[in-house]
Amino acid sequence: MNRRTRLVVAGICALAIAPAVAVVIVHIPAFGHHPLPYGDAINRAAGAERHVTNMVTAVNFDYRAFDTLGEELMLVAAVTGTLVLLRGRRGENVSDRAAQAGDRPVCERSEAVTLACRIFLPLIVTFGLYVILHAGLTPGGGFQGGAIVASGTLLLYLGESYSLWRRLMHSLIFDMLEAAGAIVLVLCGLLPMLSGAAFLENVLPLGQTRALLAGGLILVENAGVAVAVTAGFILLLLEFLEETRATRGGEKP
Amino acid sequence: MIVLLILMFLLVAATGTGVVLAREPRRQALAIAVNGVALALLFVVLRAPDVAYSEIAVGTALVPLMFLAVLVSLKTDRPKP
Repeated sequence: MNRRTRLVVAGICALAIAPAVAVVIVHIPAFGHHPLPYGDAINRAAGAERHVTNMVTAVNFDYRAFDTLGEELMLVAAVTGTLVLLRGRRGENVSDRAAQAGDRPVCERSEAVTLACRIFLPLIVTFGLYVILHAGLTPGGGFQGGAIVASGTLLLYLGESYSLWRRLMHSLIFDMLEAAGAIVLVLCGLLPMLSGAAFLENVLPLGQTRALLAGGLILVENAGVAVAVTAGFILLLLEFLEETRATRGGEKP
Repeated sequence: MIVLLILMFLLVAATGTGVVLAREPRRQALAIAVNGVALALLFVVLRAPDVAYSEIAVGTALVPLMFLAVLVSLKTDRPKP
């Protein structure tokens, strides 16, 4: 099919869907207005019902916790798949030591980079923990905070050395943390059923509004998600960065 | 407020076009990061700070980093001419 025919076909297709697109554009709600009652209902009810001030967290970990459970297991499955593919190719028995950069030249890092990383590493990790802990109060939560902490640890690699980061990020520990986070979330669903409540029902005491420990089961689920996301992202980074290091002399592991 | 919004939309459009126009894979990865920052700013203006956090952490830090890691690993595997 040459360029001319392709353009003609593309033109015909564009003309065919143009009326449908026009109808959709005409019926788009005005900017900033939405016809859905769900958000407004949550904003009215969640503060009194769940004692949290961040409605997004209330939706994620309580009203729609079932969806979060699905997403969490999806994340674990994706991380596991990546690990099986990458680590399986290299061999399980070498996962406890860092791969070498081979004959690739390694640039010396300047002292300024090291200093900047030493200053920012504790700040970023602290900020990540703050975002995790204040899930019920301010924007953020386990997922966002976990991603911040995981990527913050990379400053060790940037400022110190790959092998130090690799030594501290022990893959076996994070394998277990990843699974533990997911198990916590599943148990949050199953344990309330022992007391006769529904799956994932918030049976814990809710605490005082605007306190750090408010929200009941939301806190536990948030902690589980935070642990699983931190561990999952660190594992992904670890396996991906390990791929960039050819083993010395081209030897197969 | 409306001026700020229009500015943010233009910024997102401009950086998004930059991602498409960057043809070199490593530049593309960095262009995605810049686009992520613009999107995060737009989300903040639209009062969705939760989404902005996720966009910064995933779209600006982790995704470009993984692209870069993959690109480096492709380079090391290439046989010498």
